[in-house]
Amino acid sequence: MIDKLKELEKEARSKIEAASDLDQLKEIKVGVLGKKGALTALLRSLGNVAPEERPIIGQKANALREELELTIERKEQSLRDALKAGQWEKERIDVTLPGRPVQIGQKHPLTMIMEEIKEIFIGLGFQVVHGPDIESEYYNFEALNIPAEHPARDMQDSFYISSGFLLRTHTSPVQIRTMEKLAPKLPVRIIAPGKVYRRDDDATHSPMFHQVEGLAIDTDISFADLKGTLLLFVREMFGHGQKIRLRPSFFPFTEPSAEVDILCIMCCGEGCRVCSYTGWLEILGAGMVHPRVLEGSGYNPREVTGFAFGMGVERIAMLKYGIGDLRLFFSNDLRFLKQFD
Amino acid sequence: MRVSYDWLSDYIDPGISAKELAERFTLSGIEVGAVERFGPELPGVVVGRVTAKKPHPGRSNLLLLDADIGDKILSIVCGAKNMETGDKVAVAKPGAVLPGSRLIEEAVLYGVSSAGMVCSARELELDLGREDEILILDQSAVVGEPVDRVLGFDDPILHLELTPNRADCLSMIGVAHEVAALTGAEVKLPPLTTPEAEPDINDVIKITVVDNDLCPRYTARVVREVIIGKSPLWMQLRLLKAGIRPISNVVDITNYVMWEFGQPLHAFDLGLLKNNEIVVRRAKENEVLVTLDGTERKLDPEALVIADGRVPVGLAGVMGGEDTEITDSTSEVLIEAANFNPTSIRLTARRYNLPSEASQRFEKGVNPEAAIWAQNRTALLLCDLAGGKVLKGIIDQGETDLQPKRILVDPKRVNKILGLSIPDSEIRLILTSLGFGVSRLDDNGPLEVAVPLRRADVSLEEDIAEEVVRLYGYDKVPASLPRGELLENRESIEERLYKEVRINLTAGGYYECINYSFINPVNLVQLRLPPDDLRMRAIPVRNPFSEEQAVMRTTLLPGILKVIQHNLSHRELNQMLFEIGSVYETGSLPMMELPDEKVMLAIAATGLIPEPNWIVPSGDSDFFTLKGALEILFSRLQIENIEFKPGAEPFSHPTRCAVISAGGEELGFLGQLHPEVAEAWDIGQNVTVCEIDLSTLVRLASPVPRVAPLPRYPAARRDLALVVSREISALQLERAIVEGGGGLVSQVKLFDLYEGRQIPEGKRSLAYSITFRLEERTLTDAEVNQAMDNIEKALFDLGAVLRG
Repeated sequence: MIDKLKELEKEARSKIEAASDLDQLKEIKVGVLGKKGALTALLRSLGNVAPEERPIIGQKANALREELELTIERKEQSLRDALKAGQWEKERIDVTLPGRPVQIGQKHPLTMIMEEIKEIFIGLGFQVVHGPDIESEYYNFEALNIPAEHPARDMQDSFYISSGFLLRTHTSPVQIRTMEKLAPKLPVRIIAPGKVYRRDDDATHSPMFHQVEGLAIDTDISFADLKGTLLLFVREMFGHGQKIRLRPSFFPFTEPSAEVDILCIMCCGEGCRVCSYTGWLEILGAGMVHPRVLEGSGYNPREVTGFAFGMGVERIAMLKYGIGDLRLFFSNDLRFLKQFD
Repeated sequence: MRVSYDWLSDYIDPGISAKELAERFTLSGIEVGAVERFGPELPGVVVGRVTAKKPHPGRSNLLLLDADIGDKILSIVCGAKNMETGDKVAVAKPGAVLPGSRLIEEAVLYGVSSAGMVCSARELELDLGREDEILILDQSAVVGEPVDRVLGFDDPILHLELTPNRADCLSMIGVAHEVAALTGAEVKLPPLTTPEAEPDINDVIKITVVDNDLCPRYTARVVREVIIGKSPLWMQLRLLKAGIRPISNVVDITNYVMWEFGQPLHAFDLGLLKNNEIVVRRAKENEVLVTLDGTERKLDPEALVIADGRVPVGLAGVMGGEDTEITDSTSEVLIEAANFNPTSIRLTARRYNLPSEASQRFEKGVNPEAAIWAQNRTALLLCDLAGGKVLKGIIDQGETDLQPKRILVDPKRVNKILGLSIPDSEIRLILTSLGFGVSRLDDNGPLEVAVPLRRADVSLEEDIAEEVVRLYGYDKVPASLPRGELLENRESIEERLYKEVRINLTAGGYYECINYSFINPVNLVQLRLPPDDLRMRAIPVRNPFSEEQAVMRTTLLPGILKVIQHNLSHRELNQMLFEIGSVYETGSLPMMELPDEKVMLAIAATGLIPEPNWIVPSGDSDFFTLKGALEILFSRLQIENIEFKPGAEPFSHPTRCAVISAGGEELGFLGQLHPEVAEAWDIGQNVTVCEIDLSTLVRLASPVPRVAPLPRYPAARRDLALVVSREISALQLERAIVEGGGGLVSQVKLFDLYEGRQIPEGKRSLAYSITFRLEERTLTDAEVNQAMDNIEKALFDLGAVLRG
């Protein structure tokens, strides 16, 4: 009897092992463990066994049943796993295919720079104001201490419209318009972004370009405040390791005046071709508002002082993004614009 | 202004190298663009002394020279003949390299061996105007010395990029004063006293200044017995260093002195002046003058001229006349040193297109006290270098009582402006180093600063503050931030909405363009705008670069179409673009007052959307592409009652264009571009464009979203398909559905539209999904069915037939 059990076990195990799908396995399970299965039949024939052996054989048979059930269950799990794995394989995707296109556009790089400039100065408590592109000679020149016979007013350099009117050559007229509106209120802290126009056209000059003007007036604004403000701006715009260098210069509407340099973007001050081996790049002009300008716009220069600055947006964009040709900005070439995606 | 370091050293010893000096100049306000050596290196070219000048045995037009170069004597064949035995010349030894990498070797010329070359000025890159002659060096040159050193080719030339206020540095002496302020060294003026001889100048010439508004000061000196010739080589070299071409001793001396003192001078041939008279006056009607350049010029009555007893002999301060020019036969010279009105000179120089070193100085303002110095210096040099005899006296008319400006300066205020606390003593020291006189009225009172006449740019306390800080050092100014009251400084609502528009459009795939504000006026005609269209009234630019930029734009379309064309030419077929920018509207032409600058938005799409790809189907962009972009924009800005009504623009497809309005206010248009217009821009595919008045749009916007509570009761949905005449618009159908639904309809969505087979000609089939909902309770089936019946009736009234 024991031998029969052993034989049954051996046969069952090999069948289970060989089963290749769940149906076969079920058949085997019924064939061995079912009501009419081999093990059941064997137990039924237990009557022919000596009574003292019955419990031992019964015990063994039950143990075998449990073992086989477990084995079948394991096999079933492994068959299910294999089945699933096949299914997964059928569902495999090529993860290297490109993604479903999300088509987005982009702001013009000059807009990006202007927004960044505005953001920095708004953070410093400056208001953003605007002035007209077509401007009177008074606001563009006279009020800025550039008298009629001044060479800067040459027809060669500006686009004139009609008697007394021209396309503004800088954003500085917005200084005057703002002061006239606010005087004698203090403090004044504004920036004025916008388009400006000059009769120049080559790789580094465009007949139209963008500037941002800045102006701060109060009872004790100093040249040191100008320096601090510009240093902060430059660090925000170009990185916190940046430095500035102020050089004395001349503008009719500021006194003292300065050209402001930053460390060369390419060589960080080491000296290279881009900065003509000086380590510095000029980025803007600034100074203390000229007393005649203050006076003409309704402020008493004995009581208040102010600083002003003007920067070229294209220049900053070119430095920041490494753009070599100014004309790219106005070509609106998509091969250019898409590089800002 | 080109400054030779060697020449500058005549007036001051900087005590530092040229490079160091350049650095200090730049940091104190005189920008030095470059420091370059004056001439090329000349390896192998040495001073030689001609020891023999013999005819060439084979060729009569050649010479055979023996030149002593110190260690040996070289025998050299030479073509020119202007040297004598004993002259010092530049000898290029075999192996020498001349400019242009020209290697000199021993050669056999017509049977005679030539050990090198004797050089002309031009071969050494010196433009002395005598091309074929051998350069004769000064006798002081030492045989065997390198010629580049002897000629001062290693002299550093500083290129000063002067700001317009610093006219004082348009002279070597002015620059020397600046060096003095930077280094503490002392300025040495050149010798200015000259022996004089009878008769008195007043016995020889009479000077009358008629228009002294244009000529505040006029001085003259007369030098006789002048022998015209070349100026000495050292002077010619210095002039070349300054960028001036040497001409003759008299002319060179006037230029040399101009460079020294910044005072332009003019030399007349006194013998050619009629009536021994000079009259300074405005030109008369119909007067003409042949200027030094040989051009006959009709004189403008506003131009100041120097005339003799009869006719103009010079354009004052700009250019002399040919008739009284210095020639080889001149012996009596009248030297003019005057002060002319800057504006008058500028206008005259501009009118005749004659910018010169002289006019440039007059335009910027000449130191009024320099005239006499320059006269005396010129007289001395004419005496020394041209054998002249200086007549007694100087004629000096006009402003001669010259006093320095005095400015009261409060050191406390200077420090306050600068944000510094420089001690008074240091302020005084800086000002003194600049040659300013400083005195103190009382112990704590302001300083009285006397400004030298050469510094016409300094007249206010603020100017003094600049002088102080530029020499104190801009680098020593601390960096602080302004303190003060807070301000309300959010950007204006307009700017914030423009930003919102940008965010929306870029999120939708559109790229922002920035175009010039000026356009070609023909663009407006190409847009087929009729003459009475307001957009035809474009403001012309009076002096444009080209027709392409001749008028201010009245619409953004020409710009954006040009961009499309540009990108198409680079095979970029699928484009989605927008621009936000001003257009310029004037009430009248010519423009009498500032125009209205209206901010507009233009959007354009052409080609396939999305870009062809492997997964999402692409379709041609069209009217509805842009309409979708606009709808989402209007929705974001919460603009209500938007209407798209059929209406053509001259540049649009006649039946594919809509006028857009909001609450009855017109915003702009949206449409497919007329094929003829596309063709005018050389665009061969469909383009859809729209242009919207952003200023109106932002006025109507209420960009704060209003939130309704979420629905508490379920909605019912019914679909409905119908066939209806094409004459009935989608808007009419949608209204019929909403009205028919009697307040129960919460949403109507068109989910299908079909025309073509199985649908009768002139009709189309549309399918809607309708959502019914009430806020206060759940709708019953019966209610929804009733509403559907009513909707069907309303649609039936429009001639619609329902489909299964």
